[in-house]
Amino acid sequence: MKRLEQRIAIVTGAGQGIGRAIARGFAREGAGVVIADVNEESARTVKDEIEAGGGRALAMRTDVSNEISVQTMAKKSVEEFGKIDILVNNAGIFPTSSVEEMSEEDWDRVIGTNLVGAFLCAKAVVPKFLEQGSGRIISLTSGRAFQGAKHGAHYAASKAGIIGFSKSLALELAPHGITVNVICPGITDTAQPRGHQTEEEMYAQGKRIPLGRIGQPEDLVGPAIFLASGAAAFVTGQTILVNGGSIMW
Amino acid sequence: MAEKIAIVTGGAGGIGQAVVTRLADAGFRLMVLDKNEKAGHETVELLHKQEHDAEFYLVDLKSKTEVKDAFEMIYAKTKRVDALVNLAGGTLHKWPIHEFSLTDWREVIDVNLKGTFLCCQAVIRAMKERKSGTIINTSSNFGVTGSAERTAYAAAKAAVIAFTKSLALELAPFGVRVNAVAPGLTATARVMTGHTEREWREVTEKIPMGRAAAPNDIAEAVNFLANDESGYITGQLIHINGGMVFS
Repeated sequence: MKRLEQRIAIVTGAGQGIGRAIARGFAREGAGVVIADVNEESARTVKDEIEAGGGRALAMRTDVSNEISVQTMAKKSVEEFGKIDILVNNAGIFPTSSVEEMSEEDWDRVIGTNLVGAFLCAKAVVPKFLEQGSGRIISLTSGRAFQGAKHGAHYAASKAGIIGFSKSLALELAPHGITVNVICPGITDTAQPRGHQTEEEMYAQGKRIPLGRIGQPEDLVGPAIFLASGAAAFVTGQTILVNGGSIMW
Repeated sequence: MAEKIAIVTGGAGGIGQAVVTRLADAGFRLMVLDKNEKAGHETVELLHKQEHDAEFYLVDLKSKTEVKDAFEMIYAKTKRVDALVNLAGGTLHKWPIHEFSLTDWREVIDVNLKGTFLCCQAVIRAMKERKSGTIINTSSNFGVTGSAERTAYAAAKAAVIAFTKSLALELAPFGVRVNAVAPGLTATARVMTGHTEREWREVTEKIPMGRAAAPNDIAEAVNFLANDESGYITGQLIHINGGMVFS
């Protein structure tokens, strides 16, 4: 039995990494998926992959930090599929800089994408959710939200912000049967950690993780399906940590 | 695929019945442990009617010997346990602190915390040897928020969280995962009989989602943690409470 049959999901940042894995996982469970990514080519590739597997997908070039772009994405999604059931706020950036050298532009870009982007996407789909009387919002945070990030204060702040935002939105939308939850990966085998460490350094971090390895994008798929499906109907405002035990909260 | 075995303590209770049914639907063969003999047999009959494989063991989890005997019997028969779900527990006694007898206080701690410890201990060696297995303990929203006159229960349920994290660290090198669920107010017969209709309405209205958990809401979270889909999750607590308490 497919668990997301007849559902429509928007996954931001779905052109690569965790977003791509979640989008493909949702499609396997029967959902139609909007692949929203600022990189149109990667979005198209993932769309093709899903269609090749017999799934339904729409590729949308989307800049989550831009309200017009986000509103257009939501509108086109409804035009294509007639509704939206699930939003996954996954798009994010992680540039590094000391606070001392951090420019206001750096700060605004990280907060604007990671945190304001989640707000804008939620804002764009909530009217539809309210009209339908159902909906699921799942946002991705990071272990950095709990432990801080050396040379990534803007990133850690944006990811902690996601949690506070999600709890508040959960309270706001609970009376309408809409759930809002957060998934917190640990270090995951994607392009992101490769931006500031070698391949060897990245895999070596697995030795310090209780389950003995770093995460794979596929590790996030089951938790995302759980939160998106009927199984988690009464789970809201929560943060589920998927990190091999590296942080227990 | 080899048959998967799950042990569920308190498996004949209100949440327990939903959990054993859900796990049976997911393909587990069920070992139902409970101190209530009648409910235990009824639960197993219910599973048999749905053509699920299930057995009942009458166990008082406060007794180390009874736990040991039951788990030895199970292992002799099944050779393996894939999932242990420690559901047995409850408030049992609710008293202002100055009226709370040591006997009552200790019973609450023993049933909720020591029972969990004993059952975990009974499966750990075999799970380590097989390098696979998953344990799901039961905390409560009260383990995080506290609850007036439930000092023993809240203490036991908070302790379950720290116990779960510690055991998760101990067993992670062997690929064995340990997590906990924290149900909020759940609509079981036992809980509902403690409220008048009006009281029930008042408490459920305070829940952001406007209702209590159904036993099945808890069962779905347990099933998620019992299966490989949560394979990279260990040492975590999943709250199922309609937004009452946040992680």
